[in-house]
Amino acid sequence: MPGVSSASGGSSASGGGALVPISPESQGAAVYPLNHGLKSPISRLSISWSRGNSLRVSFFAAPSSVEDDAGGTVVEVKLGGGDGEISDAHWRRIAYGSVSPFALLQSRKNAISSLSKMSTNSSPYDADWWDYIMEYSKDINALLSSQKPASVPVIDDPKSVIVKGEEPTNLKAAWELLEMFYAEKPSHLCLPERLVDWLADFDSLFSGTHPTVHSKLVDFQKELVNLQVVEDNPKYWEVMSSALAVGWLDIVVKMLRLHGSYQLDQLSNRETENGLVEAVAVLISKMPRMRLDQEAGKLGECFKAKPDFVKAREKWRAQINKLDSSAFWFQCAHLQTREGLRSMLQIMLGNANSLCSATCHWIELYISHLLYIRPFTVGLESMYSLAQKIIQLKPMASAHRLMGLIIGILGENTEVVLAECLKGFGPWMVVHAIELLTAGSDHAEMLLLEERPNLGGINIEELHRLVYAQVLSSHPLTWQIAPIYLISCMKHGMVLLQILLSKQPVQHNQLLLKSIEICRLYELHSITANIMKIAGVHHWKHGRKGSGVFWLQQARDEYRLNRIAQQLFDSVGKTISDESFKQWEGLIQLLGSDSKTAGGLEFLHKYRDFKKSLQHVFDGKTTDAARQAVESLISLMKNPSTPQRFYLPLLYDSLKLLNWKDRPLLNVSQTNLLLTKLQDLSLARLRPDFIESELPPQALNSVRLALATNLGRAILEE
Amino acid sequence: MAFAAPQNPSRVHRIPQSKYIDAVRWLSPVSALDRFAAVAYYDTDTNSPSIEIICVDPNPQASSPILTPQSSWTPPSRISSLKTAHSTHQPILAAATFSGSIHILVSDLINGGTVESEATVSELGFHSGPVSAVDLREGGTECVSVGEDGRVNLVSFVGDSSKLSYRRIFDANGLVGYTAVKWASPSEFATGGYGFGLQWWDQRRPGGPVSQFKGNWCQGKTSGIVHSIDIHPSRKHTCLAGGSSGTVFAWDLRAQQQPIVLSGAGTGEAPISLLSESEVWEVQYDCYTRSSNIGDISSTRILPIMICSEDGILAVIEQGEEPLELLAEPCAINSFDIDQQNPSDVICSLEWESIAILTRNRTTNDFGFSIERPSFFWPVYLELLIVQYDYETLQESDNWTSVVTRK
Repeated sequence: MPGVSSASGGSSASGGGALVPISPESQGAAVYPLNHGLKSPISRLSISWSRGNSLRVSFFAAPSSVEDDAGGTVVEVKLGGGDGEISDAHWRRIAYGSVSPFALLQSRKNAISSLSKMSTNSSPYDADWWDYIMEYSKDINALLSSQKPASVPVIDDPKSVIVKGEEPTNLKAAWELLEMFYAEKPSHLCLPERLVDWLADFDSLFSGTHPTVHSKLVDFQKELVNLQVVEDNPKYWEVMSSALAVGWLDIVVKMLRLHGSYQLDQLSNRETENGLVEAVAVLISKMPRMRLDQEAGKLGECFKAKPDFVKAREKWRAQINKLDSSAFWFQCAHLQTREGLRSMLQIMLGNANSLCSATCHWIELYISHLLYIRPFTVGLESMYSLAQKIIQLKPMASAHRLMGLIIGILGENTEVVLAECLKGFGPWMVVHAIELLTAGSDHAEMLLLEERPNLGGINIEELHRLVYAQVLSSHPLTWQIAPIYLISCMKHGMVLLQILLSKQPVQHNQLLLKSIEICRLYELHSITANIMKIAGVHHWKHGRKGSGVFWLQQARDEYRLNRIAQQLFDSVGKTISDESFKQWEGLIQLLGSDSKTAGGLEFLHKYRDFKKSLQHVFDGKTTDAARQAVESLISLMKNPSTPQRFYLPLLYDSLKLLNWKDRPLLNVSQTNLLLTKLQDLSLARLRPDFIESELPPQALNSVRLALATNLGRAILEE
Repeated sequence: MAFAAPQNPSRVHRIPQSKYIDAVRWLSPVSALDRFAAVAYYDTDTNSPSIEIICVDPNPQASSPILTPQSSWTPPSRISSLKTAHSTHQPILAAATFSGSIHILVSDLINGGTVESEATVSELGFHSGPVSAVDLREGGTECVSVGEDGRVNLVSFVGDSSKLSYRRIFDANGLVGYTAVKWASPSEFATGGYGFGLQWWDQRRPGGPVSQFKGNWCQGKTSGIVHSIDIHPSRKHTCLAGGSSGTVFAWDLRAQQQPIVLSGAGTGEAPISLLSESEVWEVQYDCYTRSSNIGDISSTRILPIMICSEDGILAVIEQGEEPLELLAEPCAINSFDIDQQNPSDVICSLEWESIAILTRNRTTNDFGFSIERPSFFWPVYLELLIVQYDYETLQESDNWTSVVTRK
């Protein structure tokens, strides 16, 4: 893809129109030592691409080096190695799996656009459209899950606070974010709650680079086993506040029930304390939440309509306030319980300072604000301004790739979203995310589908598809799905597909037939013919003459068939007179009787027929068989495809026919024809490139004599 | 056995692998509980081929069967053809490679499913270039190999020598290339090649093919390559072949040059339903599908067959019937194998690095009642028990006679 890649390279180098912002620190060159094992100094170095994203580095030693030393080595250097989270094999699985949803969505898009062309009044984005987009997104999302189903413990361990689900990946987290904001159109009202769920699933991903509530919980889980009196431990209260702040109600309630006052032997003397703990637990589990559906077993009361939610929330807050100001707190003897519970109440009441101290990074703080301070935040604009405020409250030293993505989405900045997708997750993500980005937003559609002169006249969508197709083509297993993406590119796709197909190796039938199959699907007949010609010549060169002839025949390449025919005749002259005709039989069968597909090889067919009838003559000596043989001989000699060098051997073979005892078998005109041919041959012998046939030296003379005799007899008979 | 017949006539499980699968074969089971299969993998990341014995655990609790690799063997290059012999207690595998060698492997399924190379032919001049197909004779003492170089070799392995002896049956010097081979009887086999040509060979009549089915019978454009041949043990006069352009045809040796086209490139007479337009990679007689027309079991009728194709179709074809599509995958199905002991089960290798296991449920048959899939097959150990029993009774009777004589 030389044209396109240089165009995109040029634009990113110019800086101003950069598609992907290049941070200055990433430009610092990294030096990796390569062990090539050569003792002598290197005189030459050659670097080329190998399979996939590995580089082939060839070292050539100086020629004057010690004799027993190797002349050079080739080292294969694997670049990158992915993001470590997803193995190469898993990436390929994702690539295979996303072909069908992508192709289905494209065909639906085409159907809709052709429909909307026919009837102008209907909007292309109807209800069905959103179903299609959602189906697409769900299909892709399903691919990103890890293959192993999470094992669910049969016995519920009261002390296991965190339920370990399937291992989350950044890729899935990013896709769910995109799905939430771009594919689920009607649920914008419930976005805050969707974000809460999202963080619950993926908070652990931030643990690697940032302190998180999840990592706090994991740490505490380890300690919990050894703790006797859990409520004396300040960490217990801290972790619970944190979990509450990000809305993990189930975990908080489960942890509250571990409180010592629930134990039967202590229930009597810690009655008030236990009452307070239980009151808080009940309040937590009754928290009103604005969401469409609630998973079974999850805590909180769901409301679908806003007025109901507002009312319930006011009531709930009033209950918290009442509890906060009740006199029971003074009767609670246990200091940690008192303080801990009250700080939890503060969180539920939305105390900004408590929330800030309970959470670890800005996304957690943001979620807690959405839950407890501004649950009515609607619209991306207000969500974005809130996010900016929060980031100032909890500035981060380093940004996680998901954080950049969230900011881009909230800021409704399509370029940033794309850039973050590309930077963090690679070309696969960009190509498939664009479908979601353009699904509902006219602005994004305009931006991504606008033709850009600095990209060689293609749009951003096509650019990314081309890049992804290029990535796919570089691997021997995924190249065959690249055509799906290439044909969705209007401008350069077809040409690149032709290049891709022409470059495929032809050695093995399976690969060759695969290329031909793809050509057939996209009606690239000229490419098919080319591939077949290449295959034919390849097989021919490697001595597989039958295969070579077959492919050249399929390609209807008369020129090459004629050329190889000349080579074949060399060996025909030698072997066919031997009794090894069986080898040729198969090839002649393959050629068939259709002279168009056989080219110059048609001669072989006739020659075989002639030889056969001649055989009959020698066996049976009947005049009928001899007549047939003469017919064959004449048709062979008349045919322009019969090579000159066969004239003499043919005539020499048929001496018996010429000297037929009973009566002359050839009439005057036939004999004259043969004589003319013989004369042609004599002229041809003067040429320097003539190949002498391996016949006895008197052959020519005996043929001449026989012909002359026959002519005389024929004239007499007539 | 009163299970309700499921709505879906077959269950399919696709099990992703992280390597390309060149070929897959069931191994004849040694006990009723374990199922084994041999898989020829190719790892593109490390450029290394392997043949692995995997244990297929049907695993009724989980959603899909579990494949556990038992053992692995590394061939010198990629596998071009893999065949198994069924009638032995220890399954024998014949593997042909792209580098022109043949390996006979023996798998010990009782002791952990190990696989080891029993013998190898890799001499220079055995085949030049890849071996395109190999077939093991039932009983597993001989195999025949063919290549596009036009060589037909017979490899026999009697005894435990690590070097096999081979005999060249024919050398077409590349003038004809062979792409498929199948034994018909202990002395006869059939080969296939370019232009839909088939050849019939008889070891008792050396020097070339005994009979040829003329290639290019469909004239010109639709010509193609035979990829796979099957011959039913009870109908040795019919040679079934599948190849390019979705073509499946049979050659009845008794009706010489007239093909019986079952699918694909038609001769232009009867409208033949087009199942697939691309390469048919493998054909096998399907002993599970009963012919719907039981009255017409004359020997001219072709028995039901199963095919797999480049465009992802796994189907059962019956002469004169609508084909039954079992799978329609978005990617190619490279090979499949019907379990001989449990013919409802089919294992397929998909191009997108996964294995599909298909379990067919026979819902109703012609007699109107439902038959469950055959859950019982004759395990080898039962046979062993019987042998032992006979031996013991023999010993007892010996004792008895000796007692009698002593009296």
